[in-house]
Amino acid sequence: MDALSLENVTKSYDSVTAVDSVNLRVRQGAILGLLGPNGAGKTTTIRMVMHILVPDSGAIRVLGQPVSDDSRDSIGYLPEERGLYPRMEVRRLIVFLGALHGLSEAEADRRAREWLDRFELSEWSEKKLADLSKGMQQKVQFICSVLHRPPIVILDEPFSGLDPVNATVVKDIMLEMRDQGSTIVLSTHRMEQVEKMCDSICLINKGRNVLDGDLRAIKQSYGKNTLHIEYTGGDGFLSHPCVASINRFGSGAEAKLKPGADPQEILRAAVQSGAQITRFELLEPSLSDIFIEKTAHA
Amino acid sequence: MHKIWLIIKREYITRVKTKAFLITTLIVPLPGIVTIALIAFVARHGSNESLRIAIVDNAGGLATSLSRNLDGTLSNGKPQFVVVDAIDRPASTESSEQDLRARINSGALDAYLVVPADFTQPFEFHTKNPGNFAIFAPLASAVNRALVEARLRAHGIHVDDVSDITRDANLQIIKVSASGESVERGQTFGISIGLVILLYMSLLMYGIITMRSVLEEKTTRTMEVLISSVRPSQLLVGKILGVAGAAFTQFLVWVISLGLLVSYGAIVAVLFNPGYSFPVIHFPIVMVIWATLFFFCGYFLYSSMFAAVGAACSSENEAGQLQWLAMGPLVFAISIYWVVLTDPTSTTSLVLSEIPFLSPILMPLRLSLQAAPVWQTSLSIVLLLLTIVGVIWASAKIYRIGVLMYGKRPTVPELLRWLRYS
Repeated sequence: MDALSLENVTKSYDSVTAVDSVNLRVRQGAILGLLGPNGAGKTTTIRMVMHILVPDSGAIRVLGQPVSDDSRDSIGYLPEERGLYPRMEVRRLIVFLGALHGLSEAEADRRAREWLDRFELSEWSEKKLADLSKGMQQKVQFICSVLHRPPIVILDEPFSGLDPVNATVVKDIMLEMRDQGSTIVLSTHRMEQVEKMCDSICLINKGRNVLDGDLRAIKQSYGKNTLHIEYTGGDGFLSHPCVASINRFGSGAEAKLKPGADPQEILRAAVQSGAQITRFELLEPSLSDIFIEKTAHA
Repeated sequence: MHKIWLIIKREYITRVKTKAFLITTLIVPLPGIVTIALIAFVARHGSNESLRIAIVDNAGGLATSLSRNLDGTLSNGKPQFVVVDAIDRPASTESSEQDLRARINSGALDAYLVVPADFTQPFEFHTKNPGNFAIFAPLASAVNRALVEARLRAHGIHVDDVSDITRDANLQIIKVSASGESVERGQTFGISIGLVILLYMSLLMYGIITMRSVLEEKTTRTMEVLISSVRPSQLLVGKILGVAGAAFTQFLVWVISLGLLVSYGAIVAVLFNPGYSFPVIHFPIVMVIWATLFFFCGYFLYSSMFAAVGAACSSENEAGQLQWLAMGPLVFAISIYWVVLTDPTSTTSLVLSEIPFLSPILMPLRLSLQAAPVWQTSLSIVLLLLTIVGVIWASAKIYRIGVLMYGKRPTVPELLRWLRYS
């Protein structure tokens, strides 16, 4: 059984079709990266899963059941637009939202203390939310979305505003939840996070899904067509006919090869040009490249 | 239901715990209570002693009748005035007044009254305490009666007590109502106007509080987290009830202090004016129940409209521009209440008080004037309830769409279009 499935889901506002027959399946216990440029329809899709919006057509299932008010208690949701009652005390707020998700207040309070402790926020628990820094508020909101231990967690840009230490804490918690059987939908623009964490991805552009499936399989299907070269000296050799595009950075460059091109020819050209090669590696394309390719041509 | 209860509880506690709530709840009735309590205190403790006065009679022959007419008594039975000295046509007004002033300053005398030789000149009352207004009315009437006696005597008519002749006719207004008759001294009008203003103010004030509360959830972006666990309609109902709870807590405090205020007022009135009976306020309990019912209905009607306005806007500024939608009918009701007040049984009044958006204010007004038969009241409440169902439905729709809409303020046609969304 899939944790989450969308079948031909369509939603339009007035004349704009925000989501156009999107199909999506998330296996239980997997981390799915929900990707797409700004305005692609990700938030609308998530809101339909949360039953905040109702699709015009198509079917959404949560843990095998059609989406409903009750199905929402099985989902933890961290919206991209952050915000909680600024004048409420931190722990009271967490308990309130936990209770709204069906926990008893005593249980919500117990869990709130645990989580605040884990995020080193215990001394802030009686303070008003507005007195906390942005990063701390972010952590509080993350706690609110997972307090009721939902089998499915939808996190929209969970790392934004977090310093590397806290980002690591959040990442570890996500992996821990995955290992305990939770399903996680991660919506983010940080491709390196997706590459590190996600088992599968779904790329949406202009309301349609343009790419979905197992992340490793997708990357393999592109083959090793990217050349990572580090060198000193002139880079004239990079204007070789086999190179489709170049992405330069400080110590070297990433060159995308034309289909059927032989990377050895470029190496030969580089040596002939007199450049000192310190690294020469053939790679699968980065997710970032796939993202740009898929969304630029659609 | 449990979720609605959680929302109500949060809304109530958050609202009641604010400093602003505490301040308005306690501060609003405080100055009134303090003032009245102070007056009552002063009136009770300041008038236990008779006022010792002297009379300087430049006209001659007036002192006796003046003394007789200064016949008021204090609540403890002592006479209000004691004439300790009467100087008949003094050789030098100036020197006798100097002497009296010295006696006042030494504490042997409280005040003196100077009767002019020519009655077209003013009488003068010299006192250390010109703020003691409790003595002015009896003093003025004693001077008047003495003066009339003197003038009559000048025409050759001798009377012992002129008050028998000059007493005003006493015109009483008696109000006839189903529950009997009661003496009217303006208390019905007073209460009715008070009721209208109270209803208008509270509907407006708590409506705006509800609107702000919705707006706060939008501007702080708390909304999305909330509606991912509760239905917008649950949130709407919970919010309205939560604000209502806070409002009624405040009301209870005010009503209790108003009760104290009125009873203090009654005590003061009796202290100043022994024998004065407080006007009877005739309110059958049925009327109070009806009025409360109308108030609650009006509250739900207007709160849900204000909540929808809050949901449709994304800033206080925008809400300020759109709130006339909810305020309009309320302002209209208050601007035409006098039509009903002056002729509560007319057809115009009947029709106005049946219109759902106006009835929460105008029907209680007619009820307070005891001018609405049961069938009219019942019809009005049925129409009102049907409207409430419709308005709450529409508000919930606008709320549902609006809470996630940011950016440009919607126009009225756009709002109407939102009603058609599923």
